[in-house]
Amino acid sequence: MFGRKKTQQCRSTPRTRGLFKSGYIVMAMVSSAHASSLDDQIQRLTADITRHTANVYALEQKLLHPVDTRVIVFLSIKDSDALELDSVELFVNQKPVTAHLYSDKERHSLGQGGIHQLFVGNLSDGPHSLRAVINARGANNRFVRRELVHDFRKESGTLHLQMRLSANAPDYDPDVSFSEWK
Amino acid sequence: MAERIRRSLIQVLGVILIPILGLSGPSGYAMNQQVAAGVIRFGLDTGEPAKVVGQAAQLKGESAEYLRARLLLNSGEVDQARERFSAVFEGHAHRGESALRLAELALAMGDTDGAEHWFSEARRTGFGDVAQRALLGLAELARGKGERDAAGQYLARLDDGYRAAVGYMNLAADFAREDLDSSRALVSLRVAMAMASRDDNSVRAQALLDQLNLRAGFLTLNAGDHDKAIDFLEKVSLQGYHTPQALYFHGLALSGKGNHRAAMQSWHRAKKFPLAFPGVAEAWIGMGRGYDLSGYPGQAGESWLAANAAYESERVTLDKLADQIGHDGAFKTLVRDARVDEIQWFLADSRTLTQPRMAYLLRFMEAPDAQAAVRRVARLDELLVTLEESESDLDVFIDMMQVFGQRSDRDIAGIRSGGIQEVQAGLEAQLAGLVTKAQAAGQKAALEDLQWSLRVSGQRIAGWRSRMPEYPALIDSARQEASVHQGAIMGLRQRARALRKEAARELDDLALAFVDDQRERMSRVLNKTEQQIAHLYEYLALETLEGGAQ
Repeated sequence: MFGRKKTQQCRSTPRTRGLFKSGYIVMAMVSSAHASSLDDQIQRLTADITRHTANVYALEQKLLHPVDTRVIVFLSIKDSDALELDSVELFVNQKPVTAHLYSDKERHSLGQGGIHQLFVGNLSDGPHSLRAVINARGANNRFVRRELVHDFRKESGTLHLQMRLSANAPDYDPDVSFSEWK
Repeated sequence: MAERIRRSLIQVLGVILIPILGLSGPSGYAMNQQVAAGVIRFGLDTGEPAKVVGQAAQLKGESAEYLRARLLLNSGEVDQARERFSAVFEGHAHRGESALRLAELALAMGDTDGAEHWFSEARRTGFGDVAQRALLGLAELARGKGERDAAGQYLARLDDGYRAAVGYMNLAADFAREDLDSSRALVSLRVAMAMASRDDNSVRAQALLDQLNLRAGFLTLNAGDHDKAIDFLEKVSLQGYHTPQALYFHGLALSGKGNHRAAMQSWHRAKKFPLAFPGVAEAWIGMGRGYDLSGYPGQAGESWLAANAAYESERVTLDKLADQIGHDGAFKTLVRDARVDEIQWFLADSRTLTQPRMAYLLRFMEAPDAQAAVRRVARLDELLVTLEESESDLDVFIDMMQVFGQRSDRDIAGIRSGGIQEVQAGLEAQLAGLVTKAQAAGQKAALEDLQWSLRVSGQRIAGWRSRMPEYPALIDSARQEASVHQGAIMGLRQRARALRKEAARELDDLALAFVDDQRERMSRVLNKTEQQIAHLYEYLALETLEGGAQ
C-alpha cells in the first residue's frame, strides 16, 4: 500500500530559519570561546596541581623511604615483540611485596624503552632474597609462568635493582637478568 | 654469645634506622640517568607525570630535553612545552617526535598552517610511527581544505593498517557527500576495508570494519544494488554499536528485493535494541510496513500501534532523563550511573547494549563537543580526588613528624652522651675475642657475617654523628614544607570546585539539548506511525465501502 515517504518538512519560514542559523552560529562561537577559556583555566589548574602533587610525592618519598635503607626494584623489557608481559608478582624474603597487572598502555611503554618502578621499600643491611613470578605470553602464543630468584646483599645506602626481561626463540621462555647499583 | 651480640646489634641498628635519615636527600632520589629516562618515559606514557617530575633534574643525554618538554606538556605548561619542543627540533635527537607534538599543539590552537608545517617536518625527520602519524595528519588537513587528490597521495604512502583505513574512510565520506554517483566512495571504502584487515589490534579492526561495512551497505542500498548491500551488511557483527542500524538497512535491502518476511526478521532483531540507537525507531515502523506489504493489514495496524506505544514510553523515559539531568547533573545521570558498578562484570557485558541509559550515553558521546565536555568534568573530578589524597597524606606526615621530633630529641641525646658508641665498642671487643676463639668453619663464617654487620653499623654511627646537628632543623623544615603544601590545598580545591561547577553546567546544557533532540526525534517517528495508521484506516474504510457497494 505505501511506498517510501518523505519526512515532514520543517514548518519554519526560510527567513526565520536564517535568523535561527545566524543565532546558532553566534551561540556556537560564544560557546566555543567560552569552552576554550575554560580549557585554559583547567590547564593552568592542572599545572598547579601537578606541581603540588609532585612536591607532596617527593616529600612522601623522603619520609617513607629513608635513603640509607631504601631498595628500589625496576623492570624493563629487552624485546617486547618476543614477550607480552601479563603480570609480575614480587616477593622479598618469601613475603609478597607487590604484584602488578600490566595494561596495554603500560606494555606499549615498556616496549618503547619505558622502565617500570615496580617496588620501593626498606630493607635492613644483610643478605636478602628477591623472587619474581612472571606471567607472560611468548611470541609463539604460549602462556608461561616463570619463577626467578635473585639473592643480594643490602648495604648502607639506596640499592637499585633492575630486572631486564627477555625471551629467545624458539621457546620464548622468559628470562630475567638482574643488575644492581647504589 | 653470638645470639647476644646479634640482639645488641639489632638494638643499635634500631636506633640508627630512624626514618629522619632520609630527610637529607634531594626531592627526587638519585638514579642512574638511563633508568631515570626510562622511568620518566613510563610515567608519561601511563599518565602519571606527578610521580616522575622529581626525576627530571637527573635527566642527561640526548633524550633529556625531549622528555622534559613532554613532562611540561603533561603537567599543563603548554607554552613552555612548545618552546622546549621547538628547541629540541633544532637539535639532533627526537626531531620527528618534537615536530609531531608541535603539529598537534598547533592543530589544537586551530592554526592549520602551523600544523601543516610541523606535520611536514615530522614526516621529513621522523621514522616509523611518527612519520605515519604525520602523513595521516597531512592527509586530514588536505581533506579539510577540499584537496582530495593531495589527501589521497598522502594516504597512498601510509603503511597498511588502522591509520590508512581511517584516512580512506574519511575520504569516502567526502566522496559520498559530494558525488552523485557512489562509485568513488565505494572504492575508497573497499581500500579502507583492506587496510583495516591488516590492523594488528583485532578488536579495533572489527569495530572499524563494522563501520565500513555499514557505510558501504548504505551507499549500495541507496544506489539500488540490494544484493551488494546485503553482502556488506551481513558482515557487520551482531554485537556492536552499529548492529541495529545495519539490521534496519539489511531489512530495507531484503524488502527492496520483495522478501518482506526476511526483512521483518531483521527488523524484529533490531527492535530488541533500545530506541536510542540509530535505526531502531525506523525498524519498528518497518515491521508494520512489512506486514502491510505482505498483505496483512490488521497485523500492520497492530505493529504500528505497538510502535506508537513504544515511542510514547520512550518520551516518558526521556522526560525522566531530563528531570534527572536537571536534578543530579548530566555527569552523574549519563556517565557515572551508566557504568552500573553494582552489577557483576560477567552480567555487565551482555547487558551493556540493551540499557537505554548506556545507549543514550553512546549516542550523546558521538558529538566531539560532548566528548570534550565530559572529559573536562572527569579531569576536574580526578584533580579533586588527587587533592583529597594529598591532603590526607600531608595530615599523616605532619602528625608523624611531630612524633619524630620528640623521638629524635631523645635519640640525639643518647648519641651525644656516647651511649651507642660505647655499645658499639663493647660489641666490637666481644666479637674480636670470639674470633680468636672460633675454630670450626661454621663458627668462623657466622662471626665473619657479624663482623660485616658491625662494620656497617659503625659506619652508620660515624655518618650519623657528623650529620646529627642538622636533624632537628631538617625535621622542622620538612614540617614547615608539609604545612605550606597543606595550606595551598584549600586554594587549589576552591579553584577546582569552581571550574568543575562551570564545566558541569556546560555539560548539562549540552545533555539537555541532546535530550530535547531525542524527544523531537520520537515526536517525528510518532507522527509517521500515526500517519501510517490513518492511511491504513482510510484504506480499510474504503475497502469496506467498496465491499458494501458490490
